[in-house]
Amino acid sequence: MTLNALIKDFGLKQLTKQDITQKKINYGFCCDLMSDALMIMHQTSDEIIDQTILITGLVTMQSIRTAEMLDIDVVVIVRGKIPSIKVIELAERLKITILQTPLTMFSLSGQLYKKGIKGISYDQQW
Amino acid sequence: MVNKQYQIIAKNYDLAGRASSAVKQLLKELGISRQEIKRICSASYEAEINVVIHSFGGYVDIYLENNVVQLNFFDDGPGIKNIELAMTDGYSTATQEDHRNGFGAGLGLSNIKRCSDEMILTSSCEGTTLKLTFYLRGETCTTSKKS
Repeated sequence: MTLNALIKDFGLKQLTKQDITQKKINYGFCCDLMSDALMIMHQTSDEIIDQTILITGLVTMQSIRTAEMLDIDVVVIVRGKIPSIKVIELAERLKITILQTPLTMFSLSGQLYKKGIKGISYDQQW
Repeated sequence: MVNKQYQIIAKNYDLAGRASSAVKQLLKELGISRQEIKRICSASYEAEINVVIHSFGGYVDIYLENNVVQLNFFDDGPGIKNIELAMTDGYSTATQEDHRNGFGAGLGLSNIKRCSDEMILTSSCEGTTLKLTFYLRGETCTTSKKS
C-alpha cells in the first residue's frame, strides 16, 4: 500500500514536511531498543528497506539516527508521543518522515499486519 | 586513500550519532553501495553510542584504501573492566538514561562483531580502542576524494 493510504486508513498524523506519500510500504519493524533494529536490518536488502517503516515508542534523536543508519525514511511514533522540535528538525534535514498515532505499538502492528504489511525476517538468533 | 577523524562527545545524546552520520555521508560520496553502508554504519553507530555512554569522550578515525574500510574508535577511559563479559549478549552496565535513549540492551559489542569483518578491542583504565575492518563486498571503491 502507499504511504498516503496508510496515513488515511490509520489516521496517522504527519509531523514532518516531506512529501513521499506515493511511496510503497510493505514491511514494518517494531522496537524501542535501537540495537534490535541495527542488528536485524543492517543485512536487509535495499529493496525491502525502501518499503519499510520503523515503528517505535522512542521519541529521541536516536530513533531518527537509527533510521538514518539503516536508510529507513519513515518512522511511526506510537502512543501519541510528541517528539521535540530538535527531533523533527533532524528528521527533516535527513529527509525522514515522522508519523504519529495514538495507538499502542501492538494495536498498530496488528492492524497493519491485517492489511498485509509484513514483518522483516532474519536468520540470526542471539 | 581517504583518512578523516570525527569527535565523539561523552554523555551528549543530542549529538550522539553525528560522527556516524558523517561517516555515512563520506561513504556515500565515495560511491559505496547502500548495503555496505548499512553494515558499516550500523557498527559505527553502535560503537559511537558506546563511547557516548561509557567513556569520557573520544573520536573515530576512518581510513579507506583498496576496498578496505577501517574504523578506529579511541576514548579516554575509564575502560572496560571485563571485555569477555562485555561481549556477552544482554550484559550491560548502561544507566536508566541510556535506556530512555533506546540503548543499553547489552547487544552493542556483539552487534559490532556481527557487522564487521574484523574486530580488535583493547582496554585499560586510560582508554579503550576498538579497531574495525570491513572488506567491501563486490565493490570497486573510489577513494579519489581528497582527505
